[in-house]
Amino acid sequence: MSDQDRKKFVITRFDPDRDDEPRKQTYEVPVEPYWKVLDALNFIKDEIDPTLSHRWSCRMAVCGSCGMLVNGKPSLTCKDALSDYGDTIEVEPLSNFPVIRDLVIDLDGFMEKLHGVRPWIIRAKQRAAEEGTYRQSPEELEQFRQFSMCINCMLCYAACPVVANEPAFIGPAAIALGHRYNLDSRDEGNAERNGIFRGEGTVFSCSYANECSEVCPKHVDPAAAVNQAKINAVIDWAASFVVPRGGGE
Amino acid sequence: MAGAAHPDAMQPSRPGRTRTARPQRPPQFPFRGRYAAYTLFDITGVLYLLVGFVALRVVWALGNGAAAWHEVQRELTHPSYVAFHVIALISVVFVGVRFFRLFPKAQPPRIGPVKPPPQPVILGFLYAVWIGVAGLMTAILAGGIS
Amino acid sequence: MKHFLLRIEPLVWLLFGQGILIGTILLTGWLIVIGVAAPLGLVAPGALAYERAHALASHWIGRLVLLALIALPLWKGAHHVRSLSLDFGGAARDATLAAILYSVAALGSLLAICAVVRL
Repeated sequence: MSDQDRKKFVITRFDPDRDDEPRKQTYEVPVEPYWKVLDALNFIKDEIDPTLSHRWSCRMAVCGSCGMLVNGKPSLTCKDALSDYGDTIEVEPLSNFPVIRDLVIDLDGFMEKLHGVRPWIIRAKQRAAEEGTYRQSPEELEQFRQFSMCINCMLCYAACPVVANEPAFIGPAAIALGHRYNLDSRDEGNAERNGIFRGEGTVFSCSYANECSEVCPKHVDPAAAVNQAKINAVIDWAASFVVPRGGGE
Repeated sequence: MAGAAHPDAMQPSRPGRTRTARPQRPPQFPFRGRYAAYTLFDITGVLYLLVGFVALRVVWALGNGAAAWHEVQRELTHPSYVAFHVIALISVVFVGVRFFRLFPKAQPPRIGPVKPPPQPVILGFLYAVWIGVAGLMTAILAGGIS
Repeated sequence: MKHFLLRIEPLVWLLFGQGILIGTILLTGWLIVIGVAAPLGLVAPGALAYERAHALASHWIGRLVLLALIALPLWKGAHHVRSLSLDFGGAARDATLAAILYSVAALGSLLAICAVVRL
């Protein structure tokens, strides 16, 4: 293969058993013109260095597994074409996350935040099976559909400056998911979730960077969700003075 | 790498089975790429505090009588005050444009029975009010309208 | 302190949001004239003479406008300075700094009320 078909990949490596700190390792990879960044990473693992660790699955930008920093920007490596980059490409694990090994980040913290917004239909009283299914019009669906498209890829968390600096912040994807349920006509859990949104992980920590929406590969626009959630949380807070609630925040 | 993030950033409530490397901040944060505008947006907070207190001083002087009013007007002619107010004006416009870009999409799809207007309508309304009120205030204060 | 700050956060955010929205809209004309045009002598003669200025300011609309353009930007400023501190690793000092900043904004707002009432 001629020289112009080779690209240099500078990849962050970290082995907790051997390394005190993450380090960089450079690989020269013969590339095909139609490759994505993920193809190059898989080539490195298959043909050059089997110790490289990275997550991936669907190869078509729906599973959210392969999020990494490519030239400093949070990206889905299965979506990013190599032809969009120059001859040297830097690949790092997602920012703002603890790193388990190489390009693999610890996502348990994210799972906890997701779970923390109670992302399921909450009803005051469960509907009996005999009553049939819930009915929801296309207009009612459209209210929240955009926010249901999240693939949990965590690029928004990697981009958010508040996530970097305030560990308790619930974060873009989790707030968008909670907001999705708040907007769902079948759901009756607004008060509960707004209490969570005003709690320690407060939605008001968001400071309008809008980076979450810039990097989202599914156009969920989490910044819109977070800022809509702020308004709903304020209304809920004001209403709580008029209608006292049982139970704490 | 841009620098370390908070050591507890995105940490789970219970540590995992292996040692992890410290979270890193987004590489372009805080002064490169789009983060530059974001950081600038936060920095305008300092200007807004100063502008508010200078305005307080001016209005307080107005309440103290004609001599105090003329004295504070004379002070405001100092080049550093004028330069400060020019920078403040630029930052107010920057803040307005950035915030107005976000405002339409920040409206919930429904508050009770009320739905907001379409986003372009909200944006147009915001700019109309901004330009209208600023124009009116300028005309009144500058003596164009009594 | 942290718990108290969380409880008042919706109110602070409302004031901060209005500091951006209303504060920005009102400050533009103020800065153009009081900050730049008048000091440079670009206003009509007598436009900001004491009698006229006092008459405009002491009208009930004038008082409300002045109150808004003094007080609301203080809340925007306080909240954003807090945000700036957090951006640069200030999580540990956040509660103390927020208390100081919001107290400054509250004090400024009280003084703003006094300033427009005593006109």
